[in-house]
Amino acid sequence: MSESVLKINDLTVYYYIPEGVVKAVDGVNFEIGKEEALGLVGESGCGKSTVALSIPRLIRTPGKIVGGEIWFEGENLLAKSEAEMRKIRGGRISMVFQHPGASMNPVFTIGSQIAEAIKLHQDVQKSEIRKKVEEILYKVGIPSPEQRMNDYPHEYSGGMLQRAMIAMSLSCNPELLIADEPTTSLDVTIQAQILELMKKLRKDFGASILLIGHDLGVISELCDKVAVMYAGKNVEYADISTIFKNPKHPYTIALLKSIPRLDVDVERLNIIRGTVPRLINPPSGCRFHPRCEHVMEICSKQEPPLVEVEKGHRVACHLYTSNGKQNQPI
Amino acid sequence: MSENIIEVENLKKHFPIMGGVLLRQVAAVHAVDGVSFSIKRGETLGLVGESGCGKTTLGRTILRLIEPTAGRVRYLGRNIFDLKRNELQKLRLEMAMIFQDPYQSLNPRMTIADIVGEPLDIHRLAKGAEKEKRVMDSMEKVGLAPFHLYRYPHEFSGGQKQRVAIARALAGNPKFLVADEPVSSLDVSVRAQILNLLNDLQEEYGFTYLYISHDLSTVKHMCDRVAVMYLGEIVELGPVNEIYDNPIHPYTEALMSAIPVPGKRSSRIILKGSVPTPIDPPPGCRFNPRCNYREPRCAKDNPQLIEVKKGHFVACLSKK
Repeated sequence: MSESVLKINDLTVYYYIPEGVVKAVDGVNFEIGKEEALGLVGESGCGKSTVALSIPRLIRTPGKIVGGEIWFEGENLLAKSEAEMRKIRGGRISMVFQHPGASMNPVFTIGSQIAEAIKLHQDVQKSEIRKKVEEILYKVGIPSPEQRMNDYPHEYSGGMLQRAMIAMSLSCNPELLIADEPTTSLDVTIQAQILELMKKLRKDFGASILLIGHDLGVISELCDKVAVMYAGKNVEYADISTIFKNPKHPYTIALLKSIPRLDVDVERLNIIRGTVPRLINPPSGCRFHPRCEHVMEICSKQEPPLVEVEKGHRVACHLYTSNGKQNQPI
Repeated sequence: MSENIIEVENLKKHFPIMGGVLLRQVAAVHAVDGVSFSIKRGETLGLVGESGCGKTTLGRTILRLIEPTAGRVRYLGRNIFDLKRNELQKLRLEMAMIFQDPYQSLNPRMTIADIVGEPLDIHRLAKGAEKEKRVMDSMEKVGLAPFHLYRYPHEFSGGQKQRVAIARALAGNPKFLVADEPVSSLDVSVRAQILNLLNDLQEEYGFTYLYISHDLSTVKHMCDRVAVMYLGEIVELGPVNEIYDNPIHPYTEALMSAIPVPGKRSSRIILKGSVPTPIDPPPGCRFNPRCNYREPRCAKDNPQLIEVKKGHFVACLSKK
């Protein structure tokens, strides 16, 4: 459990657009242990998908990874050549995207697309590939896979397509599975099916998972740890139960209070004033300070570092740094 | 308080599918298929269901933005489908709609003042200074400062755009509002602002809402009563706490158990398969192919909505 499959140090990704530089990801740190599932949570535009795409180095111009390190099984992925990366992508690291319909090629059958992944990454006899595809489709719960593998993507429903995507990404026994909002485009009852499937497969395949999402409910179903992102920074990192029971960062606290919950009745929802800042010109100091209830003088001047407040619980907020403590406790 | 503002009776909307050489109607999408319910003055009725179940079509047909195939909708006792054009236009002032996507429902080439003032122009309610005053009133109600008046939609954030859309809906002093997924396109931290605004407006002006959403957590927060739709039909209808704490219909039960709750790992009922196509819905109870409590008669008889407890209606054969 202690050895980490993925370790990200100070990852920085900028997008260079005519209007300026969008600092989409600006110094993000986290690690995922073996067979561990980490949830990366944040609102739209906070950079969580950019992080996901950076790991297999799929960021395209105008985006660029400008700093940091991505350690995967002891190797720095940023130092690898494109040819080496191609072997890793889809093989040892695989991805599941948000819109299963958009990530499949509409003119090839589901079976042939999964077969392609197997051919590229595994040394399997041609005659056995078909059987392998059938097997993996069966594992993700596609009924009568020997027939359905000959279908084209438009013949599948959204939930089945996402199952097929998961089948494709697991076909090469990856060590790390990156799932970017895998259930967002699905209905709740289908979402429940997919979450149940991912839980089961996690046990069977033993892959580490990076689950990206904005729905804390979905994240808590599957993950052991959570990293909360806000405007390109990670502001908090902790065990899943700690995040819900004892959140520390004012953003995490406010976010949890602003979501209507099924298990708690409230008269009025808590409001986070203002909106998510544009990352071309992010606020100085702590990026959350213009919206923060506990804002202090130091917050607009100095960026808070990510500090460990308890074992395994890291927070980036001046309320918990030595600089901030003299100012004001909560 | 208990007077019904909207009464829907056996409402149906089928969309024809044309095909063949002569482009005749070959089939129909049964988007809304025999729906009846009423909404009391001042309450919020939630309409929940998965995508494609007909919630949006129902919301639009109630406002007669779409002509129905059959059935009646009474607004304060009058069937709105019998109204003449000019009568209907007057009614449009009292019934308004808030759409899902404020990025698309606001004309990018109009200023906010024009957008919010358009209902006043169309209904010739106010001109000049009077119009400006009423536009400002609407803007104030939704918490937008007057200096925004001459800006264009692209200058606003998603939450502000939705405020503009709500201000426009308020310009004609409506009584009844259909809110179709009003927060689903907004950021999580901004959603609470809009939900609180809708609640405050209701408290102050006594609006009646039909709140359409697939997000069961916000529905629970917003609504007094909830109607659950499946494939064009209402399968369960009742007070919000009854529906959430004591769901009776197997579909509602599965739907409720499927919601992931932050911080908890719940045991859930997993439904088989996915929603069938509304072009050719299953015979009998439409939910029967996916139901865990299915009996042989479910594939034959169509269940009716029956009151099982006071105000709690369920359409299911096998569970009383």
